[in-house]
Amino acid sequence: MTPVSRAVDRRPARTRTEKEPGPESNGAGHEGGSALFDGYLEPDRPNPDAFDEMFNADGSVRAPYRQLHDAIAPTAAADLSARSEALDRAYMDQGITFSLSGKERPFPLDIVPRVISASEWSRLQRGIVQRVKALEAFLADVYNDAQIVRDGVLPRRLITSCEHFKRSAHLLNPPNGVRIHVAGIDLVRDQEGTFRVLEDNLRNPSGVSYVMENRRTMARVFPDLFTRQRVRAVGDYSTHLLHALRAAAAPNVADPNVVVLTPGVYNSAYFEHSLLARQMGVELVEGRDLFCRDNLVYMRTTEGEQRVDVVYRRIDDDFLDPLQFKPTSVLGVAGIMNAARAGNVVIANAVGNGVGDDKLVYTYVPQMIKYYLDEKPIIPNVTTLRCWLDGEREEVLDRLHELVIKPVEGSGGYGILFGPNCSAKELQKARKAIRDDPRGWIAQPVVQLSTVPTKVDDRLVPRHVDLRPFAVNDGEDVFVLPGGLTRVALPKGSLVVNSSQGGGSKDTWVLAASRAPEAERELGERGIASKAPVSGPAAEQGRELTVDQQQQQQQQGRDA
Amino acid sequence: MGWRIRVVHETGFKYSSPVLETYNEVRLTPRSDQHQNVIVSRVETVPATRSYRYEDYWGTQVTAFDLHAPHTELLVTGTSVVETGDDSEPLRETDWAELASEHIRDRYTEMLEFTDYVSRDPELVRIAKGIRKDKEPADAVLAACELVRDTMTYQSGTTGVSTSATEAWQTGKGVCQDYAHLTLVLLREMGIPARYVSGYLLPRKDVAVGDTVSGQSHAWIEARTGGWWGFDPTNGIPIGQRHVWVAVGRDYADVSPLKGIYSGGTAEALDVAVDMTRLA
Repeated sequence: MTPVSRAVDRRPARTRTEKEPGPESNGAGHEGGSALFDGYLEPDRPNPDAFDEMFNADGSVRAPYRQLHDAIAPTAAADLSARSEALDRAYMDQGITFSLSGKERPFPLDIVPRVISASEWSRLQRGIVQRVKALEAFLADVYNDAQIVRDGVLPRRLITSCEHFKRSAHLLNPPNGVRIHVAGIDLVRDQEGTFRVLEDNLRNPSGVSYVMENRRTMARVFPDLFTRQRVRAVGDYSTHLLHALRAAAAPNVADPNVVVLTPGVYNSAYFEHSLLARQMGVELVEGRDLFCRDNLVYMRTTEGEQRVDVVYRRIDDDFLDPLQFKPTSVLGVAGIMNAARAGNVVIANAVGNGVGDDKLVYTYVPQMIKYYLDEKPIIPNVTTLRCWLDGEREEVLDRLHELVIKPVEGSGGYGILFGPNCSAKELQKARKAIRDDPRGWIAQPVVQLSTVPTKVDDRLVPRHVDLRPFAVNDGEDVFVLPGGLTRVALPKGSLVVNSSQGGGSKDTWVLAASRAPEAERELGERGIASKAPVSGPAAEQGRELTVDQQQQQQQQGRDA
Repeated sequence: MGWRIRVVHETGFKYSSPVLETYNEVRLTPRSDQHQNVIVSRVETVPATRSYRYEDYWGTQVTAFDLHAPHTELLVTGTSVVETGDDSEPLRETDWAELASEHIRDRYTEMLEFTDYVSRDPELVRIAKGIRKDKEPADAVLAACELVRDTMTYQSGTTGVSTSATEAWQTGKGVCQDYAHLTLVLLREMGIPARYVSGYLLPRKDVAVGDTVSGQSHAWIEARTGGWWGFDPTNGIPIGQRHVWVAVGRDYADVSPLKGIYSGGTAEALDVAVDMTRLA
């Protein structure tokens, strides 16, 4: 966190404390306060079967949300709106935007956090680590001798027909074996409240900057909420990332030079690229800043050429190396694949990871977990029908009107068809598309994503959410950032949460275990603690407090 | 008995204005197998570069190099001495039922699929059906090669490096690359795993030991009917003592002898010259 951003960030918070009364003074003895939740569980809401994360079906509050509910419920609608505006202003001031169909707009942060209990999180964390390990083993296998195919567990066709299977990554084995330096595993919660994996993101999962910025902003606007509960910190993500990237370099490099490679300012995630580079204290570069000579990668600097050992690239495979992929790409670095093959640079995430997060390959991850780890999946998949298998395709074609049809290569929610919402003509078109390209489509039952109270106008109403936790693999341990990005579908009844489809986000709270610290330490990050000082057990146990936040709290105290 | 042949393959680019930066990969190095034994092989460039070698996904030796000094011409020379083998024989160790089995279709999936070069065409589908009728797989391979050779007219300059099988079929003319792609379409249509082979052919049978002749960069096919075996559809002959193979793949794109990128003026390919000397 640099002084520059802190100066910018503080402004909205200060504005608020000057103009608006604090919630404590306002909420005390307010009779109409609970009006916020009026009609929340009304029976005629869309998707009434969905699992609500705050309320049981009988209207009582679930345990993890109790403290939060008690804090919010007495708040007056006007105060909530004032704080909500403060959140929006904070984001606008920092320039955190994303592009929706070509138009830059702020990424709406909802004021009600999403809460995950310590025990739920501990299971999710183990499930994510398991998945990342299985997928690492799969990628290592696929780009070597594909033993899993020889053993008849997966068909070869599954791999060779995948658009993101990169033959030029064959036998390209990184020094510490890690290909998935960063993973984003998308989870949803079904009608029963069971978390399921919806998809894996092993290429360039983005969104972690929102996790950190959401927390910072929430802590400024709602410091009082954080004093009631122990919420696990998310601010040390970049420390873990830098550690994993440095650990990825060849052992002979004493002090590896890491850079972040961005496509440039016009990329929708440029803010994230610059934030990560700044927090890690490494250079943010574009393709033209780097070049290869005799299989070594150099950065052009004002002081001459400088060797680069690890490239955390946020550029798609196809644009990374014009010698191997699209020859017209000017975003990448010619020759970088051979430099990596020669062991002179590490590309993170590795080229060709897309074969592991293909939506058809996804359906085989449970088999991979069994094959490579001899374990049962801790987090189940969403039931998925594969159009490329004759039997399952027939079932899809029969039940098209009740299924969600997804293109295998799609991302950002584009190309997804909700059978129940389709006209007969659209269904007919989908049938043809599936018959023409069975490998290109999967189908899933409509999962009624769980709901969390979300502020719409002056009330809190149920809106559907998903969760993208981020995992960082340093080769010895897989670190999972507590929480992740909760995306929320803002339109009423909508089940599409992608930011590219008009979604918003929520701060995601993982509650620290109330038991002794030993319990936490068992799940903890063995080995990282010594090298990454921020991640010690103390930081994990502590409240989400920084120097900044304490100052705000003191101001708050005076106002009250 | 096979021959010992020296192959000197020269290729490269000419630029209209000096080029400051270029990155290239060449596939000019033959490999040893049961058909041939590679005695020596090297790749050199002018201007000189520091090259890097690796084996690609298809098992081909790739030589990669980059050049950062201004130059207007880049010359690449691949020199190899290879002992070649006797004529290849068709293998008859499979039948149509086995070729249609899930196991074979999955194992050789990449050599059964269609590509931009090995493109599907309704007319070729019908022709493939006709060839297949009443024949064993190996005879169907020979028949497909014969049909392509009989139907097409060999004429250089009529097709280019990016011509697809369908385009060549429609013109009725082409070179060895087109003959190979067309044959692959027919074989894959019949369900026979088939791959593209790039290499060299010493053009004359009667060449004496010590004689150097102007040879050709050549292409042919291999089919899998129980095991892999090759045939030269352009000349209608088995793969024998005059053939030296370098690379196999799904089509030309997997084996292109020289590809690269550069920054600077427009490039023009230098004339490719292949000199072949029978040493023994």
